[in-house]
Amino acid sequence: MNPAQDFAIKIIGERINPGFKSTRALFDNQDLAGIQALAIKQAEAGARYQNVNIGAQALTDPQWMARVIEAIQEVVTTPLSFDFPSKAVQEICLSCYDPAKANGELPIVNSITEHRWDLMELYGRFKFKVIMMASERVENGKALGNKTAEQIYSTARRAALRLKNDYGMPLDDIFIDMSVSAIIADTEGLNRSTVEAIQAIGADPELKGVHMMGGLSNIGQQLPPKAADGSDLKHCLENAFLTLTVPHGFDYVLGTPWRGYAPLPEDHHVLKTYRNFLEQSGSNALRAVRKFYKA
Amino acid sequence: MSDTNQQEQQLIEWLADMNEDEAFALAKKMLLEEGIDPLRVMDLCRRAMDIVGKRFEEGEYFLPELVLAGEMLENISAIAKPLIKQAPGEAPKKLGKVLIGTVHGDLHDIGKNIVSFMLDINGFEVKDIGVDAPVQTFIDEINAWQPDVVGLSGFLTLAFDSMKETIAAFDQAGMRAKFKVMIGGGQIDEQVRNYTGADAFGVNAVEAVKLCKNWMGAAA
Repeated sequence: MNPAQDFAIKIIGERINPGFKSTRALFDNQDLAGIQALAIKQAEAGARYQNVNIGAQALTDPQWMARVIEAIQEVVTTPLSFDFPSKAVQEICLSCYDPAKANGELPIVNSITEHRWDLMELYGRFKFKVIMMASERVENGKALGNKTAEQIYSTARRAALRLKNDYGMPLDDIFIDMSVSAIIADTEGLNRSTVEAIQAIGADPELKGVHMMGGLSNIGQQLPPKAADGSDLKHCLENAFLTLTVPHGFDYVLGTPWRGYAPLPEDHHVLKTYRNFLEQSGSNALRAVRKFYKA
Repeated sequence: MSDTNQQEQQLIEWLADMNEDEAFALAKKMLLEEGIDPLRVMDLCRRAMDIVGKRFEEGEYFLPELVLAGEMLENISAIAKPLIKQAPGEAPKKLGKVLIGTVHGDLHDIGKNIVSFMLDINGFEVKDIGVDAPVQTFIDEINAWQPDVVGLSGFLTLAFDSMKETIAAFDQAGMRAKFKVMIGGGQIDEQVRNYTGADAFGVNAVEAVKLCKNWMGAAA
């Protein structure tokens, strides 16, 4: 039973990442058996993909990274997603990935942006799916951060159609990373822009088939564990975001497969507060954030 | 606090308890109607900020309180500053100069902006050179401005390499010993600090302020 089934979403398992304290110990001790056990746990919990993030070790010890990938593929058939924005690192990952061990499924390169398009030079020599970050664009040769829904949407559209038309990549192989940012410091309406961009992408007939995904662990970063009504604040915030975006086509979460996501009822404190927060900007947004945890 | 009267104590409490409207109205009354020494009012604000910082570290407060309290302080000082009688030509003394920027390849600015803001309200002179800052821009700005501390910000794992490269370039330019380097943002920890060659790292804006105060020999 996949605990994520309460929503029409699939999970890219995020746990193989030294950013998690428990995983960090596995990496520090080069505990391959422990990493394999973690991969099995994610697979059993229904992960559709497993993201592999080695942290800074990808640069200092690429051979170790290759051993990690091979070890994971020895024990699970879940296809993998490689999380490092460097062509040299991706090349090593793609070389040691064996599609045959994943029922022929392609891996995912996580991630490209308009600014880091060089990873696409690997396409052809390797076959892969791709996570494309819609949070930045290139304008007159310069990389700029996207802040508005229109900027995020047009970057996503431009990049997805470029992948389709110039590389022959099926839209079904494209995952647009919608960058769900921490609400705690969101005075610029970034959450609002992301939600509106998802609506726009979902409504664009030419983009039918692309996936929209994102990590949700940022959204509740640095917030207290409990909401004012006693509910688990971070988890409820993630569910609040999904409640608003899954109906518009947000269909993949880079997350913990056993976390379990479920829609919130309309009158839930966290959903109501999130809706209110989405309408605020500047320091009023911070005051709206305080309402999540201040009675 | 025995050296404060009831009204002063009230201001500190309202500020520290995030009663924004009441605190601002009281400070304004003290400054504009009662003619209380603006330096005294600013000192009360600083005491309140210390309480807010402490509550933040103890997990009672979170980033919104930190930033909103900082805004209250800014709003009050905007009224207080013009009232401060300054000897001609005497600039207000700053604790030190901090140059900050997001390293090249990374466009994230939220954490950097909060750190800049917190350093500023804590008495540092801050120069923010923006996001995706090339190594040469850091070097040029440092040469021109001579900061005491250089803060490198980055959210992506990719930023670790840019930080390492930037700090190595400080070495090559023979300027590394002239200032301290702190890094922050994203998944930065001791391993990353070691990898990049920075002097220290911080996981939030309060830590960044503490690092700078320690380096400048000011009481944290």
